[in-house]
Amino acid sequence: MDLSDFEADNSVSCRLSSAIPDICRTTDCCLGIDEAGRGPVLGPMVYGICFCPIDRKEDLKALKVADSKTLTEVERENLFCKLDEAKSFVGWALQILSPNTISTSMLQRAKYNLNALSHDAAIGLVQYALDCGVQLKEVFVDTVGPAEKYQDKLSQRFPGVEVTVRPKADSLFPIVSAASICAKVARDHAVTSWGFVEDLGDVDTDYGSGYPNDPKTKSWLLKHLDPVFGYPQFVRFSWSTAKTILDDKAVPVHWDDDEEGGEKAAARMNCASMLSYFGKSRTSARETHRFFSERRLQSLDSL
Amino acid sequence: MASKKKRSLNAQNDRWVVIAADSVVDAAKSDGSDPVFVRLKNPATDVASLYLFGAGDADVYEVKAFDEDYRSWFIGQTVQRDGRLLYITPVDPLYLLLPYIIKAGKEQGKFQPVEQVLMDEDFPACRRLLRCARTRASLPQVAEEKEGNGQRFYKYSQEKTVEWLKKKVDRTVEALKKSNISVGGGVKSTTYIRTKQECNVQEEDYLRYAHGLISEYISEDLSKELQKILQLPEVSSPKDLEPPSKKRKVSDTPVEAGEDYTKFNGASFARKPPKKMSAAQKSLAKADKTGMKSMSAFFSPKAKTEKN
Repeated sequence: MDLSDFEADNSVSCRLSSAIPDICRTTDCCLGIDEAGRGPVLGPMVYGICFCPIDRKEDLKALKVADSKTLTEVERENLFCKLDEAKSFVGWALQILSPNTISTSMLQRAKYNLNALSHDAAIGLVQYALDCGVQLKEVFVDTVGPAEKYQDKLSQRFPGVEVTVRPKADSLFPIVSAASICAKVARDHAVTSWGFVEDLGDVDTDYGSGYPNDPKTKSWLLKHLDPVFGYPQFVRFSWSTAKTILDDKAVPVHWDDDEEGGEKAAARMNCASMLSYFGKSRTSARETHRFFSERRLQSLDSL
Repeated sequence: MASKKKRSLNAQNDRWVVIAADSVVDAAKSDGSDPVFVRLKNPATDVASLYLFGAGDADVYEVKAFDEDYRSWFIGQTVQRDGRLLYITPVDPLYLLLPYIIKAGKEQGKFQPVEQVLMDEDFPACRRLLRCARTRASLPQVAEEKEGNGQRFYKYSQEKTVEWLKKKVDRTVEALKKSNISVGGGVKSTTYIRTKQECNVQEEDYLRYAHGLISEYISEDLSKELQKILQLPEVSSPKDLEPPSKKRKVSDTPVEAGEDYTKFNGASFARKPPKKMSAAQKSLAKADKTGMKSMSAFFSPKAKTEKN
């Protein structure tokens, strides 16, 4: 799999895709959606779609695609090669959401959570297939969040396409299994050959699976913590694993949308404390002229 | 979430991010001596404020800090927690001399050499103001001048001072207009970009704004005097906006109840059956309340603690 498009800039989201088989533009097709790398604290999350004509589903079965989790890495690689060879009737597309994209989405002021991010990635890929002229009639999805809600959302978004959202869809429908293989292979490649944009010197690439409960991953996170910057972009800052270590070990950083309570917050909000209303004599200190207060300019009494 | 670490407020800091007038740096080059930060009496507040003397004390500058929450600097390969931006801008030394001249005028009321006037134990650096290039020439703006024995003597003159300040206000108005500063009453944000020019800004708004700005450099008394001369009407102070006190006015008419409570005594008034309690209220009612104080107990006056 050629990931060079993503590797050119792994801080943003990237789409990779196969050529669209001609037959898919003329015959009714089914499409499977699956994701890889939802849980890890390290590396990208990859969304994959696979599509083929409905009447060629059996050929897909013949390739013996199965749920990617039941396969070894080598088996997955082989299966992906077979899928790629079947390009006369099978097409695929991937959306690689970089860890940086995930961090910045989830930690921005208007929170954009992982489910919304996942749904939008899936929708984007289906729309891509439609835009390419694939005659979509059936879509099968492994669920993210409540299956019914997700199915309603997708059905509404794509009228005229029969959407089936099902937990464990990757083991039930071969087209979803195929999508899961594409996604998983892409994620594996991206993680094993991660190009760090940061100058980390001799970086230790033995970070294990990337899942928060992997002791290797945890010790890697502890080792690569920078007190000021935290982590390289490879790490999802929004994961509680990363957050906890940052809170404990790194320099505290305060943002203006941090939640804080008490008098200090009230003072920041420019609210007078309740107590100030009970003081009898208000000291008539002159207020700074608004030219200065509007510009946040203050006199200093020392450096 | 883990408890956030508190910002320690007095971190060591030996670096500042400064925007300074070119003259500060240029003067240093020619003279060789460095510009120096000093504490002087702030003419508006009478407390210490930070100023800077250019090389050779040729000029005096005031130091203002742009200070907003949640800011830090990245400088080269380091981080500076103090996110302030210091502005060093020239200030007319006469503003800083004025409190001393006024004080001497009040206490002695006679002509004196300015060196005698400018004595301050708390701010010994104030004598350096006399070395500033503009100082001596501008003294007659605020004081009567006499010459004798090759020395000059000065006596504070309020008329002259106010006249001088009036000129300052006029020049400030000009500057405000030139730099498109919004002086209108309704405008709160200076970063808010409006498509149309403010149309209903009046000359008085400029005058009032300029007066306020100049008042940042003079005592409150002088500010009021200047306001009179500029014929700016007083604006309602925030005190007027407070709600009226709740005390009832004393009157001669007999006091009557505002509401008729006797209706509750009539036969027609039947007590309503107590409302059904919600599930949460029921579970609360079941709680063991022994040893708990009633809510009102917290508001009654504190029982005096007995001395042992």
